[in-house]
Amino acid sequence: MISTFFSHELKAFWRSKNTGKSIAIRIVMAVLILYLLLNMLLVGFFLDKVLKHLFPNDSLIFSFCGIILIYYLFELFSRLQLQELPTLRVQPYLQLPIKRNTIVGYLALTAMFSVFNLWPVILFFPFIFKVVLHDAGGTVALAFIISIFGISIFNNYLALYIKRKANLNGWIFLIVAAVMVLIGLADFMWHIISIRNISYLFFGNLMHHPVIARVPVLLGAGMFYLNFLYLKQNLYLEELSAKKDKYKSSTEFPILNYFGATGDLVANEIKLMLRNKRPRSSLVMSLLFLFYGLIFYGKPGLKDSDTFKVFIGMFMTGFFIISYGQFMYSWQASHFDGLMVSKVNFTNFLKGKYLLFTVASTAAFLLTIPYVYFGWHVLLIHFIMYLWNLGVSITIVLYFANRNAKRIDLSRGASFNWEGVGASQLLLGLPLYIAPFIIYIPFKIWGHPNLGLALMAAIGVAGILTRNYWIQVLEADFYKRKFTITEGFRNK
Amino acid sequence: MIQIKDLKKVYSGVIVVNIPQLEIRKGESVGLVGNNGAGKTTLFRMILDLIRPETGEVLSNNEPVAGHENWKNYTASYLDEGFLIDYLTPEEYFYFIGGLHQQTRAHVDDFLAGYADFFNGEILKKGKYIRDLSKGNQTKVGIASCLLQQPEFLMLDEPFANIDPTTQFRLKNILKDVNKKGVTTLVSSHDLNHITDVCDRILLMEKGKLIKDIATSSSTLAELEKYFAIGETTVPPAAKVDEEENH
Repeated sequence: MISTFFSHELKAFWRSKNTGKSIAIRIVMAVLILYLLLNMLLVGFFLDKVLKHLFPNDSLIFSFCGIILIYYLFELFSRLQLQELPTLRVQPYLQLPIKRNTIVGYLALTAMFSVFNLWPVILFFPFIFKVVLHDAGGTVALAFIISIFGISIFNNYLALYIKRKANLNGWIFLIVAAVMVLIGLADFMWHIISIRNISYLFFGNLMHHPVIARVPVLLGAGMFYLNFLYLKQNLYLEELSAKKDKYKSSTEFPILNYFGATGDLVANEIKLMLRNKRPRSSLVMSLLFLFYGLIFYGKPGLKDSDTFKVFIGMFMTGFFIISYGQFMYSWQASHFDGLMVSKVNFTNFLKGKYLLFTVASTAAFLLTIPYVYFGWHVLLIHFIMYLWNLGVSITIVLYFANRNAKRIDLSRGASFNWEGVGASQLLLGLPLYIAPFIIYIPFKIWGHPNLGLALMAAIGVAGILTRNYWIQVLEADFYKRKFTITEGFRNK
Repeated sequence: MIQIKDLKKVYSGVIVVNIPQLEIRKGESVGLVGNNGAGKTTLFRMILDLIRPETGEVLSNNEPVAGHENWKNYTASYLDEGFLIDYLTPEEYFYFIGGLHQQTRAHVDDFLAGYADFFNGEILKKGKYIRDLSKGNQTKVGIASCLLQQPEFLMLDEPFANIDPTTQFRLKNILKDVNKKGVTTLVSSHDLNHITDVCDRILLMEKGKLIKDIATSSSTLAELEKYFAIGETTVPPAAKVDEEENH
């Protein structure tokens, strides 16, 4: 039975529309994943060098033993945010004559297929083979390997257990997060406890008594069993899925009433962002990106580079345009038919997009004003890039939106979600990121960077002033592709 | 009201809709019946300019629907949940649709108050987004939003599916009512009783073609039942799928 489940799962993966049919996307995905893996492998392979550099006074194995538990604490934290619960896929099997134990067992087992369980192997195993095996012998190395598997499994199921509980009661997540932050603070800020020492207490002893490798294995098995029991007792769809029943109230944005029909469309789109998981996370990301400048402007070498400021300015004032705009119209895929047959004027529809992006960019620009701390020039460049985004980036993004016919399921999370990603997202990046530099760099080489900046500002302003023209162009362009887009959006 | 000329749609080599000529006159109430795959929904979508036909065109008030937007002013339609904005509350959705037709909130509230029975207390002020409503209740929202637009031409695709018997009766009365007021209606259904009750004219589709176009009379139901009950003599009664579908 388990093998039948497994083959269904594989089919579901390969036949799902969002696996990405086009080869280009698969290649890019594969390259990205490989790159990440390679990076991790590199860190794992040179972990001894890294540790030597970080803790020059301690012995290698001592510092290695020390970091393991710290790693797992971070891992638990990221698991809680990123790891997906394997749930609703069991729906079609529940009413069939299949033993509950089989279903639950399968559900619990597939939870092991998570990238997170690969990281410790890549990170720690090279070190174990290089150093531990050499210094302490085969038995100890084996004990290390077993322990690491044990803790990984424990972490895996602990994270899932917490997530399942948190689905029923949102406070649990907050409490767990608070506890973890407190543990972190207690160690790194207040120095009350030392995770390094606790970690060493176990792994140090493991060196002399390899038998205690049984402890993490038992912990892992215990956690698995706890999950198994919990799932078995709660094998009801409404409890497995993450729905919370709260009273949803209607909201209004009175300011938007000034914009008439366009304002209504923008109000709907703001609700779309606030009430759905994936667009909400792109909103949060744009807020986080406002700190992007802090990373670079603080560095003395980069502080004086205007080229960098152009790049960072564009990103900070325009990240929302990029992150939300690249999936434009797909967000509305589920009700696009409705929009097309109702009395929505497409000109107003486009004006709504311009208005939304203008508001978001303006807010981002206002929030980046404190960067004036790094000099007036920074603010000036931010302002120029803000004009550029309003005048040029929005139009580019909307032009590519007309070429995007991939449906997006709003309710699913953003992390590792490749749904709706197509060639248009990959191509969109090119003109968006490169265009400012095509204008700026020649002037810089010529020795008049400020002329380049002025030209960009002028193009931005020109773009803003000629918006109505671009809206007409985009509308005509849309009607050429309307049927392709509506059909694509109907394709679940 | 609606004129169809040489309309043809082909999906991967198969002709799914092929209608050389059809006219729906103002004030008619037209019912569309046919088995699954007969091309009913595809026809609806082409009338709404959501699918591009291979050949031919659809005229609404003597103007092609493709490339024009005037028909949106007097046409209201509900085909499936894809017509609803599912992350809005029903109220927000009604206000949005009303706003598109320059109706004030007070006007929308007034209108909705008249549909309290139809909603049966399950739609308004329940604190749910449309996506959290059951399929039947979503259908109710879709139908009500159509009526809110006070259309001259109303299109509903299988509105009787998913809704409870009481609402089915209410919907029949509503449809008869709006038709009396001069609204042209085009409704598809698998329920032959309902459709012959509500519509003056029945179109029967089979594999993309209109094979019957009859004015409803006392013998229409029997005629349709005879058509749909093909093979009833050779196969046990359980195979009489079509009438039972969607119930």
